[in-house]
Parts: sequence; structure tokens; C-alpha cells
Amino acid sequence: MLGRGVKRKRSCLEELEVEVLPDGARKPDRKQDGGEDREEEAAASLLQQRQVVLGLCLKKLQDDQAGVELSLRRSVLLANTLRQIQEEMWRDRTRGPDRLDPDSCLVRDGFREDVSVTCPGCAEDGCCDAVSPDAPSQDPNGPSDQQKPPPAPAGSTLSDSATGYLSDLALDDIFEDIDTSMYETSDLPWSCGGGALWPLGVSLWPEENLKPPSLSSGGGLQSCLMDLNDLDYIIEILVKS
Amino acid sequence: MEEESDTRKINNSFLRDHNYATEADIISTVEFNSTGELLATGDKGGRVVVFQREQESKTQPHRRGEYNVYSTFQSHEPEFDYLKSLEIEEKINKIKWLPQQNAAYFLLSTNDKTVKLWKISERDKRPEGYNLKDEDGRIRDPSTITSLRVPVLQPMDLMVEATARRVFSNAHTYHINSISVNSDLQTFISTDDLRVNLWNLEITDRSFNIVDIKPANMEELTEVITSAEFHPQHCHTFAYSSSKGSMRLCDMRQAALCDRHSKYFEEPEDPSTRSFFSEIISSISDVKFSHNGRYLMTRDYLTVKVWDLQMENKPLETYQVHDYLRGKLCSLYENDCIFDKFECVWNGSDSVIMTGSYNNFFRMFDRNTKRDVTLEASRENSKPRAILKPRKVCVGGKRRKDEISVDSLDFSKKILHTTWHPHENIIAVAATNNLYIFQDKVN
Repeated sequence: MLGRGVKRKRSCLEELEVEVLPDGARKPDRKQDGGEDREEEAAASLLQQRQVVLGLCLKKLQDDQAGVELSLRRSVLLANTLRQIQEEMWRDRTRGPDRLDPDSCLVRDGFREDVSVTCPGCAEDGCCDAVSPDAPSQDPNGPSDQQKPPPAPAGSTLSDSATGYLSDLALDDIFEDIDTSMYETSDLPWSCGGGALWPLGVSLWPEENLKPPSLSSGGGLQSCLMDLNDLDYIIEILVKS
Repeated sequence: MEEESDTRKINNSFLRDHNYATEADIISTVEFNSTGELLATGDKGGRVVVFQREQESKTQPHRRGEYNVYSTFQSHEPEFDYLKSLEIEEKINKIKWLPQQNAAYFLLSTNDKTVKLWKISERDKRPEGYNLKDEDGRIRDPSTITSLRVPVLQPMDLMVEATARRVFSNAHTYHINSISVNSDLQTFISTDDLRVNLWNLEITDRSFNIVDIKPANMEELTEVITSAEFHPQHCHTFAYSSSKGSMRLCDMRQAALCDRHSKYFEEPEDPSTRSFFSEIISSISDVKFSHNGRYLMTRDYLTVKVWDLQMENKPLETYQVHDYLRGKLCSLYENDCIFDKFECVWNGSDSVIMTGSYNNFFRMFDRNTKRDVTLEASRENSKPRAILKPRKVCVGGKRRKDEISVDSLDFSKKILHTTWHPHENIIAVAATNNLYIFQDKVN
């Protein structure tokens, strides 16, 4: 992407792009025995791409807030992309780690449904069940907000229903079993557990005078996401203290 | 020695300022007028430069009507919105000409917030022989005047002056992305991200809002308006495009507020090509009616589509502009190129369509022969009056000698704005801060 003749390293993004090319571009001569491994690899790299895109999306939205009023079109497109990714992560979680949403962007032809894929950061079924939209014992406002996926801007309507939603859950149960080994060892700067992202709020509409999320006052994106592991931080954003 | 060092200092500071000036020189819009005699460009610095075509002369036939600078004026100045603490850019987003009705030329130019009507007129005569003031303009002492004379118009050097005749302001909360003059020549629309406003060219303190897609709760906003245009013949019909890849045709006779469309154009998404970027690349960046009013052309990130106004469920024709970028969407998302807004144009007979791409490439598609060509607007690769050589992008495998590989494309050189002469095969292409004018070769 630089000027002609300028050397540059093959970026990790380009590696991901090569792996996630549409079917037409894939080499057709996949052997049957190695097929399963390759499909698992492809699934993992698609998940990785999703994390990368998610991280980029968040970073762009935060940068946009920081200064000049950039175009509304750009903000809306970024927010929609973010919403789409988080919807997929919801669907993956509610189906359990061994089933993927057939409508998901991750599913391509030839991808078998019974391939076991671990949703990053969500090693336990307990975590999935706790945030399932099908859970019956919720506040009346709860389900509608669970259908509407995050991010909801901080200080928005989510806070009222979120209070009711949280009060029905034992918060310790949600977070005690999360495998945090991903955070320590991951190579990607933006990798994070799906669970830690749900309370993420991004305010897109400065003219509406919404309180900007506490996240933007921090340092880089990575430190912000690391902070999300802190339970107090999560509750503060949800409940609008 | 001292003088030399002074000169060096001056040269250095000039070079530094030159970089700044280059930023303001970035061309942000180009437009031929309805006869093709004039070509207007707007730039990031708020200036409008108008070129006029030379009369073809028999003595110099090879200078087949070249375009020379006719008028330059500062259309918009940077402003500051004190309420929001935000700067309002002076960049000219769009220029639209009004058809010529007398000796003067009129055009509408707009930045993010304000539309202005400019009158460009020539002055080649000057009154001379005033009684009360002398030739320098100084007032004469009345007691020295012994006789009266009638001032006479004397020829003078041609002067082209531009005056702002109307300023249409304070009607847009969001950024204006397009303007379109109605075929009735009395009204025009200005469009921002969420609203379309109808103006009368004579009235600046009032406009009618005819489309409003702002939701009651801004957090529910998922779609914005990206472009709008009046039908070339039907003064009650206009179309607007959205960031979700759909287009709506509206009839102003149906209701005062045209929130209900009369036609809705959208192609269902192909599930096999769905990705995280599907919505972003489906966002329509430009919509143009054909000259005959039967078709609509839309440009999204990777394709140009021609729609028949009678068929809403799918386009008539789809042309791939640079499909080799489909595998690069993640990188283009990272460097923000995926948000670039390319324009598209019809030729005079609606048989050829043209749009820009990266690396200073632009593409033309012949709708009848289905042939397409990629050309480059660059000084290094083409001499003046040389025939443009078709370019080819190599997508994989072996690269031939003249081909360029996808990885070598320069994504900072993008051709977003192009325009086509209304009758002849003359095109103007804006490549960052350079304007290229190409015409058919002389036989």
C-alpha cells in the first residue's frame, strides 16, 4: 500500500487476507485427510480476522471521537460493522462452542458444522449461558436489550435495563471461570475475550452531548481492553455511575 | 555572501509553504457546464477555477479547442461553528452549473454547510468621461467644471468577474454531500447525511425539507444519505442513495415530505461473498441519472451499476471497477481507503460510463460493446498529445511487462472526480491536485 519501490513487511493483515479469500480463490486440490485440519485452521484464522477487524473498528471509533468532526457516514458504517461482529459473537456463544451460526460471515462452503471451534476467551459454557438471550428469568426490558447487541453508547437506554439484567445474575459466576491465558500470550494487540467486550460503550453522536465512555480517557486501545477485565470497571460502564 | 544566504532562507521557507499550499490545491470537484464551453473545478482551499474552451482556429488546427483559465475566485472561506467548537471546512464539495440564459454564467458551489450562487460575467467596456470625477477616480472640484459631457463606453481588456449573488445557509446540521439543479431552473436541492432540502434560487431565507431520515433516537441511526439528484426531465422526480447500498426514487407530487419512496432499488446481497465489509463496500458513493432519463447509475466501492428505472429488484448492468481489491479489503479498511467516495459519469449519448480508481487509473465501460479500458492520468507515463496507453493490473501469477501488480498500486493516488463533456468526447479527470483533460485524437 506504500509508494512504488518501497519495501515493506508482509503484514499480518495480508496473511489473514490470503487465508480468508472467498472460495473461488481457494486451491481446489485439498486432500480429504488434511481437509479437517485445514478447515480448522481456516476457521481459526477467520476468527482471528474477526478480532482484528473488531479491534480496528473500535480504534477508529475512538480516534474519531478524539478530535475533528469526521463524517457521519463513516461513523455509521463503523458502528454497523461493529454491531455485526458483535452479533456474530453473540450467536457463536449462544450456539455453544461447537456450533457456528450458518449465517455467519465465518461460514463458507465446505465448512462442516460439527467442527469444534473454541470461541476465544470463552472456554466455559457457563459464560455463554449466563449471557444467553434465551434465558427466561430476565427483566422485561432485559430481552429486548439483549437482542439489540452492544455497543450501546454510554449513558444510554441500556443502563436502565442493564441494572435489572445484572441483578438477576451472580456476577462472580460469570467471570470466575474465564480462561485469561489468551490475554497474556496473544500476539495480536487487540485480542480479547468476547465476554469482556459486552459492556463496551461507544458514543458516536457528540452533538447529542452524551457522556464519552471512560475508555477514551485511557492510553492505547490495548490498555483499555485490558482494563475491562476489571469487574468494577465493567459495572461502572453498564450501570452509569 | 549575505545576500546569498538570504536567498537560501527564502527558498527554504518557500518550499515549506509550498507543501501547505499543495494541500489546499487538492481538487475536490470538477464539472462541465451544459454546453461544454466551461469547465469548473473546486478545491480543498475553497477556490473555484473556471476554464474556458478556446474558439477553434483555422490557423492552429492542432490546438483543437484547448481549455484555458477563465476565472478564479475564492468561493468559500473557512468558518468556525462556535456552538459545537468545530471548524467548517472551506473545501468545495460540489459545483453545479445552471444552464445559460444570458451573457453571464451561473453556478452553484457548496461546502459542508453553505451553498452559494455565483455569477461569472465579462466586462470588456468601461465608461470614460465622467463629469464629477477624473480618470483616476478623484473627485473634481465642481467649480472647475465648465462644460458637461456624456460618458462614453470605451473598450478595455477583458475582465472576468465573479460575484456571489445568493448565499443559501443555515439549513444543514450535517455535511452537504450533493446539490442538484432542477429541470425547472427555478429550484434546486441540497443534500446532507440525513436530509434533503429544496430551495428556490431566488429565496435564500427559506428552504423546504423534503426528505428526513433522522431517527428520533440518534443511537438507532444505521443509514445515511450519500447522494441525491433531480431527474433530468421530470421536475417532480429525484433520487437519493444510501450507505446501505439502496436507492430511492421520490415523487414530490405525492406529499410535501417525501419520506415514502415511489421506487426502491436494491440488489439482494450475494451470500457467498458476504464479509465483515459487505455493508461498507455496498455503500453508494454517487448516483447519476442518464441524460435520457431512463437509467440511473450508482457507484459503490468495487462496482458501477446501471439501473433501469422500471426495474427495482436488480441492476441492468454491473461493471467491476477493480475487483482485484476484493481480497485486500482488510488492508483497505485499515488505511481507510475503503471509505473513499468515487464518482461516476455518463458520456453525452449514455453509451459509455466512466469512473476512477487508484494509482491514478480511471476506467471506461462501453455499454454497447461491453468493452472496457483502464487508463492512467499521470505526467510521467504520458506526454502531452500522446495517445493514452491502456493499462492492466495483474492479479496473480505471471506479470507481463506492462502490467502492474496489485501490491504495487499507489493507494494515495486516487481519482475520485471526473466529468464528461455533454456532447463531445472530452473528459476532465482530477488526480489529487492535478487536472487532466483528455480528448479524442484528431484524425
